[in-house]
Amino acid sequence: MAAEEYAGEAARSRGLLHSAPMPGAAPQRCAYHAERAGFAICMSCRTTLCQECATQWDGIWHCTACLAKKGTAPRTRSPIAGWVVVTAASAALFYCSIRVMVWSGVLLAGLR
Amino acid sequence: MLDEAADAVRVALPWTALLLAAALPWRFLQIVFADRLLDLGSDASRYGTYLRSAALMAMLAFLVSRWGRLVYARAIRLVHANGKNPGRETLRVPPSVLADYVFIATFTELLSSMTAITFVGPPLCTMLSGSAIGTAELNTTASISEPFRNIARAKESKIVFSLLLVFACAFVVAFINVAAAFALGYWLVSGMGWFDAQRWAPFFSFNNRRFVLAAIGCALLTLEPFWIAAHVMLVRKAGAAQSGEDLRAWFEELRRA
Repeated sequence: MAAEEYAGEAARSRGLLHSAPMPGAAPQRCAYHAERAGFAICMSCRTTLCQECATQWDGIWHCTACLAKKGTAPRTRSPIAGWVVVTAASAALFYCSIRVMVWSGVLLAGLR
Repeated sequence: MLDEAADAVRVALPWTALLLAAALPWRFLQIVFADRLLDLGSDASRYGTYLRSAALMAMLAFLVSRWGRLVYARAIRLVHANGKNPGRETLRVPPSVLADYVFIATFTELLSSMTAITFVGPPLCTMLSGSAIGTAELNTTASISEPFRNIARAKESKIVFSLLLVFACAFVVAFINVAAAFALGYWLVSGMGWFDAQRWAPFFSFNNRRFVLAAIGCALLTLEPFWIAAHVMLVRKAGAAQSGEDLRAWFEELRRA
């Protein structure tokens, strides 16, 4: 019990559990392991997690379930479509850049 | 951050040479284009076809220079991560990163040309361009929205603006130094018997527009490595602060001490 309280205190001191328990209130427990003290909160589903269940991705804590959902989230567009769009957009911008470069240059030269 | 950028530039010196080699044609053709425009003046509108071909050449050189910038930004990132000069790994730029960067760089160039008349647009576009090169390696897929998302996520506009001011001052200093270097070189060579100093004197003068344009181009080339390194460092440091990586590194450093 003392070890769990110590772990909870350590987690709070690191700012991982933002809501410090009131005196006498039950310490936060891992949603998947009731015997373990809370270590972090999943930023997607707000579940309290122990050190084993919490995974940090891109600087944010997630639970396994939410992370799996992110991993299996259907892609809205295939990579080929992305390539086609980027190439077409770059080519269009390239063409426009030449035109606009001349246009603005002529405009600025005319101001002299 | 600027000190760290300067250190990284020193370590990545061979890649600086590559950057300058890639950027040189772009700056040269920019100068040629500006010179032609100033030559033509108000008659420039009659020479549309000629100016378009000059602009096309400049824009092709622009693409090469963007590749050089991206390789250099990667070199700086690797120097920042490993503390030593990276090898051929630097040249292995992922195609999606290159595609995204070419897209955002061309967009910035277009925006810069469109807003050139306002005199406020180009500095803002320079800030956007700096953020684009800083965040270029954060792009993971070929997408037209991801580069903008990564720039917006960086949220370092105040520091990017500060960098713009610092580099504006540095540009003035670099311009004076480049002009002084040209003058010194001219003075040294003029002491030699075979050199016709009288003939070349008008060229190395501020009355000569081409000399001024060449000095501007050289000053920009001189600053470019530091400018890219500063933006890459800024993005990496901001990312490390967000993820707590900087604290972890600091704890490790304390533990070792």
